[in-house]
This record gives sequence, C-alpha cells and structure tokens, in this order.
Amino acid sequence: MREIEMQPELEQPEQQSPPEQQSPMDQVLQHVAAEVLETMFFTEAELADCEHTWLEAASSARIGFEGSHFGEMLFGLSAEAVDPIAASFLGLDPAELTVAQRGQVIQELTNILCGAMVSHLWPESRLSIASPELTSWQEWAAEGTLHRCFAIPEGRLAISIRLLPRPHPPGNES
Amino acid sequence: MALSSLIVGISDCKVTRDAESVLVTYALGSCIAVAMHDPVTKVSGLLHYMLPESAIDASKAQQNPFMFADTGIPRLMDSLKAAGGEGKRMVVQLTGGAAVLDSQGVFQIGKRNYLAARKILWKAGILIAAEAVGGEVSRTTRLEVGTGRLWVREGGGIERELVRKQAAPKAVERQ
Amino acid sequence: MAYSVLIVDDSPVMRTFIRRVLALSGFEVGECTEAGNGEEALAMLSTHQVDVILTDINMPRMNGEELLRRLEADGVLKKIPALVISTDATKERILRMLALGAEGYMSKPFTPESLREELERVLGDRNAGDRNATRA
Repeated sequence: MREIEMQPELEQPEQQSPPEQQSPMDQVLQHVAAEVLETMFFTEAELADCEHTWLEAASSARIGFEGSHFGEMLFGLSAEAVDPIAASFLGLDPAELTVAQRGQVIQELTNILCGAMVSHLWPESRLSIASPELTSWQEWAAEGTLHRCFAIPEGRLAISIRLLPRPHPPGNES
Repeated sequence: MALSSLIVGISDCKVTRDAESVLVTYALGSCIAVAMHDPVTKVSGLLHYMLPESAIDASKAQQNPFMFADTGIPRLMDSLKAAGGEGKRMVVQLTGGAAVLDSQGVFQIGKRNYLAARKILWKAGILIAAEAVGGEVSRTTRLEVGTGRLWVREGGGIERELVRKQAAPKAVERQ
Repeated sequence: MAYSVLIVDDSPVMRTFIRRVLALSGFEVGECTEAGNGEEALAMLSTHQVDVILTDINMPRMNGEELLRRLEADGVLKKIPALVISTDATKERILRMLALGAEGYMSKPFTPESLREELERVLGDRNAGDRNATRA
C-alpha cells in the first residue's frame, strides 16, 4: 500500500468566536484578506457569517502550492462584486472591462491572497505556487479546511485553504 | 509679507492661484483633505470631504458635491483644470482619515474615506505624493499656494511639514 | 533619459497594473515590453534593448528565479538591474533572489506609490520629474 506522508493539519477555526479566541491561522487569514483588498483593490473586508447560497453564482479560482507545505486555496467572489473589484484594480470604468480581464483579475487576486497567506503562515518555508485556475466553488470537508466568508462594500468573498497529503514520488511504493 | 488664509470648511473646497495665500482646513477627524498643487502655474486646491460615496444620498450630493469623495474629487480636479492647472503635474497629498467617533458613531469611516480617495485617484491616473492619514487624532492642514508646501498639525502637537517619502536605501523586505 | 522596461509576469492584468504605475510615476519610459514567463523574457532580451527588468517569481515554463540565474550567468545581461515583484515573501526566497543579483524585492500586495518609490531607488530619480518632488 502506498504510504502517504501526512502534513500538520490546519487548525480548525472557531465559528464566530471573538478575536482573542481565534486561532493564529484564522487571524492570519483575516489579516491577509484585509491587507490585500485594501492595498491593491481599495476596499475593506470584514468577517461575515457563512451563508453560502451566493457561492453558486460566484466567480471562483483554485490555486495550489507545494514545497515544504503541500495544499491548495479556493477563492470565491460574489457575482455583483466582480466588475467593481476588477475595475478598481485596473483603474477603469466597469463598462470598459473585457471578459478576459474579469477572469484574470479573479485569478490574480487569488494568487496574491494565496502567496501572502502562505508567506505569513510559513515564513521560513520553501514554497512554489502554481498558476491559479478559474473554477466553480467547491464545498470542501470542514475537517482540515480553514474557511472564512467576508463582506466587502461591493459584495462578498470566501476563502478556503487546506493542506493535502503529500504524494510520494514513484518508486517509493511498498 | 503675511500670507492670506483661505479657510476650507467641512464638505467644502477652494481653488486658487494666488501665490500669497494659504488654503487651510481644520477638524479633520475621519474626513479626508485632498490637497493638489501645480508647481508650475501654482494653481492649488484643497477639498475637505466627509463620506466616501454619494450613492447613499444622491440629493445631498447634488446640493453639495464636496461632501463625498466620488463627487468632490472629480469636481476639485475640474476646477483646478479650469483655473489653469495641469493634471499630469499635480502634486497630490492626503491628510485625515482618522478612526475617531464621528457624528454617526462609526469608527471605520476614516479608513473608508481614505480608500475612496486612493481608488478615485488611481482611476484618475494620479499617484499620491505624500500622506498623513489614519491614527486617532484630529488634524489641521494648510497648503501654501506659492510653494506647494503642506503643513499638518496632529492633535495638540506641533505643526510639521509633510514631505514626500524618499525611497529606502536598500532592498525592500516584507514587514 | 528614456528607460526601456521589460515586465515579466504570467498575469496579464498584473502587467497592466505595473505598466500603469510606470506611466504615472514620471519616469520617461521609452519601450515597455512584456513577457509571460522566463523563457519569453529571455527571447525578448535577445531582440530588445532593455534597461530594467521587473519580474515575478512563480510562473510556468521558467520561473523568475531561473530567469535571474540565467541573467547572472550572462556577461551582458547580468548588468541589467532586475526588480523582483512577487507574492512570495518567504525569507529564504527573498535572500536567494537578492543573492542572484536582484536589485530589489517587492512583495505583493503593494500600493502604486510604493512601487514608484522602489523604481526610483533602482533607477535613480533622474526622470521622476518636478511634479513628484515636494521641496523642503
């Protein structure tokens, strides 16, 4: 049977716990989301209740990372927020956006969030981050997943991040 | 020679090219002051706005566009251009945006005001030269029209000049 | 003096963002070329005169670290200043890129103004222009 090397699990976030009871990883997630959205997208993200009906129509992207830690992140942005967020980033009017630009901004936002997140979580690590891919939102199993929803003035966003079993290279199977 | 002060009130804006004047605004709590100065023509303007978006009260924005960032900043830029200011030369500085309890009891409005200014200026193709924003103190700002120098007083402190941040002498590392 | 700039990033919209900052910063930018990865960047460098390279790290085909390694190994290309702009802010990566000859390292997210400052440091502020200077 092939052995799979297990990695340290992500700590489970407390549901709606006060800030002082939130895990360090949860705090990092919130801090990074706020910093990224304020710095390059000129908007303010606040923690929000997880109500997921909007995610079906959301624009989402998935991004993987590997190295000293192996895992992936999923990002979803509510449909009504896509145009204002993309326009803010590019300094355009929403009417000037192309379809391609909308998708590319979602991908780049996912990329920046993931990179900032893993750099904050594991600053001493050695990591490479894959290219983000547009996808539809997936509900990952709660166990082993750090997940948060946020409200921004333009709409909502959701972030899930999880570590995965690291596959061994071929030849190590017993 | 004494400079003459042109007072800019709350939700107010003034534009001048009189090199003997100073544009001044007081009581900048969560509000943002946008100072713009053309170093060649000396055309200068100072806007003091209270709220980020006019969509919350379109009729108020109609009566007074300077109450909101998204109506006030474009109006300021139009006025500067009409007075002979060149958009590409404008030196833009921001002050205010503090986390103080304002009349609506909202702490976050200072940050929202600041983000609104950044977003509008980025879209307008203007980079910010310097800023004194955030914190929890009220500020007073004055812009010398003749020189473009901007002075800020924070709380009860001494007045200091806002100078553009110089580049760091070595590679930037994440904080 | 007009600078020729090469922007290397697999995200077209990030290249657009950086290009916009360059245009607004007051630098006299002559030619601004773009590449989506290290391989394309090397191809560009073989046909274009470039004064400064702005490069991401995580890119398909050839990443920014390998690009810098190739530049450092070339007697002519190693003289072109390279500024790294990346989401990767891990300590080891930053040190490796600086050791490979990067002039500076900006981690994403960054404000347009902070990129301008870093460009001024790398390029010198010869062409920043009066409009960006507040005289004391």
